[in-house]
Amino acid sequence: MLLWLILILLGLSFIIYFFQVLALRKKLSEEIPNSFTQPISIIKPLKGLDDNLFDNIESFCKQDYPEYEVILSLENRNDPAYRVAEKIRNKYPDRVTIVIDNSSKALNPKVKNMMKAYRISKYDYFLISDSNVCVEDDYLRKTVSSMTEDVGLVTNLIVGVGGKSFGAVLENLQLNSFIILSVCLLDKFLKMPCSIGKSMLMRKKDFEEIGGFNAVQDVLAEDYLIGKLMHEKGKKVVLSNYMIKNINEYWSIKRFFNRHTRWAKIRWKIGGVKYFTEPLANPVFIASLIPLFYAFSNLSLILLLLSVLIKTTGDYLVMRMIKEKPGIQIMFSPIKDLMSGIIWFVPFITSKVNWRGNLYLISENTVLMPVTDSSLKRTYLKLKTIFSH
Amino acid sequence: MLLCDFHIHTKYSDGSLELKKVVDLFGQAGFDVIAITDHVVNGDSLIGKLAYKFRFTITEKNFNEYLENIEYEAQRAWNKYEMLVIPGVEISKNYLSSDKSAHILILDIKNFIPACGSYESIFLEAKKQNALVVACHPHHMKGEIRNTLYLWKNKQKYGKYIDAWEIANRDDVFNVVSLKKYPYIANSDFHKARHLYSWKTLLNCEKDKETIKTCIKHNKGVAITLFRR
Repeated sequence: MLLWLILILLGLSFIIYFFQVLALRKKLSEEIPNSFTQPISIIKPLKGLDDNLFDNIESFCKQDYPEYEVILSLENRNDPAYRVAEKIRNKYPDRVTIVIDNSSKALNPKVKNMMKAYRISKYDYFLISDSNVCVEDDYLRKTVSSMTEDVGLVTNLIVGVGGKSFGAVLENLQLNSFIILSVCLLDKFLKMPCSIGKSMLMRKKDFEEIGGFNAVQDVLAEDYLIGKLMHEKGKKVVLSNYMIKNINEYWSIKRFFNRHTRWAKIRWKIGGVKYFTEPLANPVFIASLIPLFYAFSNLSLILLLLSVLIKTTGDYLVMRMIKEKPGIQIMFSPIKDLMSGIIWFVPFITSKVNWRGNLYLISENTVLMPVTDSSLKRTYLKLKTIFSH
Repeated sequence: MLLCDFHIHTKYSDGSLELKKVVDLFGQAGFDVIAITDHVVNGDSLIGKLAYKFRFTITEKNFNEYLENIEYEAQRAWNKYEMLVIPGVEISKNYLSSDKSAHILILDIKNFIPACGSYESIFLEAKKQNALVVACHPHHMKGEIRNTLYLWKNKQKYGKYIDAWEIANRDDVFNVVSLKKYPYIANSDFHKARHLYSWKTLLNCEKDKETIKTCIKHNKGVAITLFRR
C-alpha cells in the first residue's frame, strides 16, 4: 500500500517536473519588442564580500543604456565591500555614487541598507540589484523593455555560475534546476506573481503607493511582499526572460545549507500548507523513499536509479536550455536533490535564520524578530507577539 | 590605508589556484597590494627532495618564466583593479627538526636565489637585489607538527638582515614579535581560496614598490587587521 502511494507520488512528481521544464521553455521563447529607455537609478546594497564582487559591480557600470546611475549603498566604511566600491567609483566617477548610512531602524538589513540610497536616487525608475549578480551590457536595455504602463515590477530569471568548490556546485545546481523551474512554473502556469530580489525594476510612483520601503522594512522576504503588494494594487509583476548570473565560486556546504534552509523557512512562512506540496517537485527525493520504506530490494533500487537517471538527464537538458555548460558537475544533481529533500524538513524544527551575519526569528509572512542573547527575553517576545494578536 | 598581503602561493609551488585566479581573487576583494611568494625549497634534505619530486618548488630553470608571468599579471592587475603585484619567493629551508627549519620571504626579487645556500648568503643576495627580507611564521603555530623556529632562535645573529617579521600568519598571532618591538607585517600564507579571510597588513603610504618597502622597513604607518567576509 505504502509502495503504491510512493509510486503515485513519484509519477505525479515527474509530471510536475515535466510542466516545470515546459514552463521554462515557454518563458525563454517569449519576445518583448519594446524600446522603452527611461533613465534608471540602479541601487546596489553591499554587505561583505561576494565572490567576483568587483566584476559584478563593474558589469552594471558598463551598460549599453542612454542614461542611468549606479548607487552603491553600505552600512559603514568598515565593511570589506567598501574598498571595492571605492575602486569602482574611482574608475567610473560620473556613473557611481557611494552612500554610507546606518540610521534606519529597519530590521531587514537589505532594506535598511537601501533607504538612503533610494532617497538620493535621481530618476523616476529604480532598479534594486543584489551584489552577487553579474550581467551583460544589454541587461538594462532588455530588462527595462518589459516595463509598460500596466507593469509595476520587472524581475529576472537567475542562473548560478562559476562553481569551483563542492558547496558552490550544489548551489548552482539548485539555482539552475529547482529554483529556476519553480519560478517559471509559478509564472507561466499558476499565474502567481513571482519577484526575485536579485533584480527588481520599479516605478517610484508605484512603489510609494504600496508603502515604499516602510511597508517591507521588518520582513525577511521583502521581494515577495513587494511583488504581492504590486499585484494587489492591480499592477503586473513581469518575470523577464533575461537571465542574470549569480556568481557562486567558493561556497562551503555550510553556506549552501544556510541559504537554502533560509529560503525554505521563507517559503514555509509564506506558503503555509502549500509548502507541503513542495517535495513533489523533487522526484529523486521521493524515489529515495522506496528503498527506505520498502527495503533495499532489486526493484526498489532499480526504481531509484531510473528516477535519478531521468531527473539528471532532465537537469542536463535544462542547463542546456539556459545556455550553461553542465559538465561533470551534473553528476552531483541527485546528491543536491537528496540534500534539498532533507532541507525541506528544517523549517519545522526552527524559525531562526542567519542572514549576512544577522540572526533573526521569523514568524508568519516572514516578519522578523531579532534574536537576543537571552533565551528568557526571546520567550517573552514570542509570548508578547502571540498575545498582541 | 593600503590593504596588503605579502605571502601568497600559487600552483607554481603548493598553492591550489593558478596565478591568474589568485590575482583575480584578491583584486575582486579590493586589495591594494599583494606579493606572490611561491616556495624555493632547499634540495639538501629529504623534505626538500620530495618538494622537487612533486614540483612544489620554483627552480632556477622556471624562475624567469615565473617572474615574467607575475609581471604580466601585475600589469593586468594594475589596469583592472589598481592593485600592485610584487614578485617574491619564500625561501624554504625545511628539515625534520623545527629548530633547524626557517622560511624567508624575499619581496621584489629580481634574480633566482637558491635555498640551499647559507643564511648569510641568502640575506646578502637579497640585499644586493634591493629586496625586502621577511621572516615568516617565526614561532610556534597552532596545529603544525613542523614549525620554522631557526630564525627566531638565532635572532641575535640574523636579526640585522631581517627587515620585518611576520607578527601574524593566517590565523596565528606571534606576540613574541611585538614584545621584541621588531618591525612587523601580517599575512595569509595563502594556499586555498578560503585563506583570503585571515590576518593582513595595512600600510599608510603611497602605492608603489619602493615606498612600500621603506614603510615596512621603518615600521611607520603599519597596522594589522583580521580580514573577514
